[in-house]
Amino acid sequence: MAPELFSLGQTAISAHAFNANRTQVAVSLNSNEAQIFSRRGYEWIPTETLSEHDKVITSIDWAPSSNRIVTASQDRNAYVWQPSPDGSWKPTLVLLRINRAATHVRWSPNEDKFAVASGARAIAVCHFDPENNWWVSKLLKKPIRSTVLSVDWHPNNVLLAAGSADSKARVFSAYIKEVDARPPPTIWGSKLPFNTTCGEYPSPAGGWVHSVAFSPSGDVLAFASHDSSITVVYPAGAIHNVKMTSLPVVTLTWTAEDCIVAAGHDCQPFVFSGSAETGWQGVGTLDDTSAVHRSATRPGVGPGRLKSGAFATFQAADSRGQSSTADASDTKLLTMHQNTITSVRPYESAGGFVTRVSTSGADGNLVIWDVNEVSALTGKIGGLSMR
Amino acid sequence: MDGAFRKIDIDAYDEDVLHEEELYDADPRGQAQVLDEAKQRQVAVRSALSKSDIAGALSIVLENAPYGPTFDDAKVVTLQTVFTILSSTKSTEIPNVLKALTQEEQDTLMKYLYKGMAALGGDVSGSVLLDWHEKLTEVAGLGCIVRTMTDRRTV
Repeated sequence: MAPELFSLGQTAISAHAFNANRTQVAVSLNSNEAQIFSRRGYEWIPTETLSEHDKVITSIDWAPSSNRIVTASQDRNAYVWQPSPDGSWKPTLVLLRINRAATHVRWSPNEDKFAVASGARAIAVCHFDPENNWWVSKLLKKPIRSTVLSVDWHPNNVLLAAGSADSKARVFSAYIKEVDARPPPTIWGSKLPFNTTCGEYPSPAGGWVHSVAFSPSGDVLAFASHDSSITVVYPAGAIHNVKMTSLPVVTLTWTAEDCIVAAGHDCQPFVFSGSAETGWQGVGTLDDTSAVHRSATRPGVGPGRLKSGAFATFQAADSRGQSSTADASDTKLLTMHQNTITSVRPYESAGGFVTRVSTSGADGNLVIWDVNEVSALTGKIGGLSMR
Repeated sequence: MDGAFRKIDIDAYDEDVLHEEELYDADPRGQAQVLDEAKQRQVAVRSALSKSDIAGALSIVLENAPYGPTFDDAKVVTLQTVFTILSSTKSTEIPNVLKALTQEEQDTLMKYLYKGMAALGGDVSGSVLLDWHEKLTEVAGLGCIVRTMTDRRTV
């Protein structure tokens, strides 16, 4: 199936989250409001606006079974939104007790907790206290040394992975005795009181860690860092590192136990595959930039952004003395996304595998990709550099 | 408007401030040892160059390159050694030399190219560095440049 592209706005999308049956999507268009769009055929119609935050919303997550939305914002707050019978959404303020912006939020698999990463060198793990009828937060602090940029839950509802700007990815226990049963031992450890650090993994060349994700089984951890690399950690021993020749990826998700989709500053989703024994490598991209319908309209323009727009204009003026104004279409990238992809999330699953993923980015576009339509990257990564 | 407040070192008032050296693991070797190794490498590189084994010479100098704030003397020696290799390589040989290096070595070489561009003059010319830079980027991609910029283990 060809990728589906939806333009939701002219501004950057800072976060997106689909509901369980994918008829609605909550996005933040880089503002203090979250928009809910509903699908009508091939269009997304804005239906609701969630406005309570004072500053830009940085992250949104939609719990599939309990149908609640949580939003985190630079105003240091999080809100949990519950649907009312009349179709509107009722906000509940969460006291996070952090003194810097909240950067990322994710519901736990059982949807009874959520974790909020923040610039306060802390992660707030929140659960509902029915006696007082509010959300209580407990802070994971040690040994985080800088802003936490992303979190991801282990399927056992207890372990939490976090990627941080101190260039380390960590695995913590976020065990809350009020909500969690004693977890069975995992490969990450057996005794798991709150704030146990089960693992700490540095990025290979000191890049801050943009994104972390547990594999579907929870036995493997992957993270993307700003040194243009992704690292796959098998806690029993092997740590595999893929150094890319392209610009850094800032977001990644597992689609199967041996497959990762990652995207970022190169505006296209890359596919990586491997295992503990064979190691990991990039296998291709989901964005077929060589597709006839796109390349035919722009002969002579190679893939990558360097030959586009202003660069090509000045190069033509310099090497051939042409000063004609460049065709307006030349400012368009060959990729589907026209700017950095900031979020990639699983969209649809079948038989335990993610079959489609959704991406959103700084260009205001939302794209849904078929994970199995990988086109080879041969020569293209090199081409992305200067050619 | 008075902008003096912008120059206040706010980190001085933060008890829990993150220091540069906490961001990477320090080189465990001693200062004298590193300087010694750098000088030994200089000799090894000369003998490799006399056999015109450029890739071998680069591998020798790029392995375990000194980094961090304490090895200034060793860094100077190593930088000179790298420059010797760079300027004694024919432009046409460069792509094959670069392809023979490991990814790790390519990243380290990029660090030296940028260090060289930051301190031009003396025994190396800008055109040599730019030539190497262009060809290294063709082989190792933009990712290599990004790693050079992110890595705090400066050479």
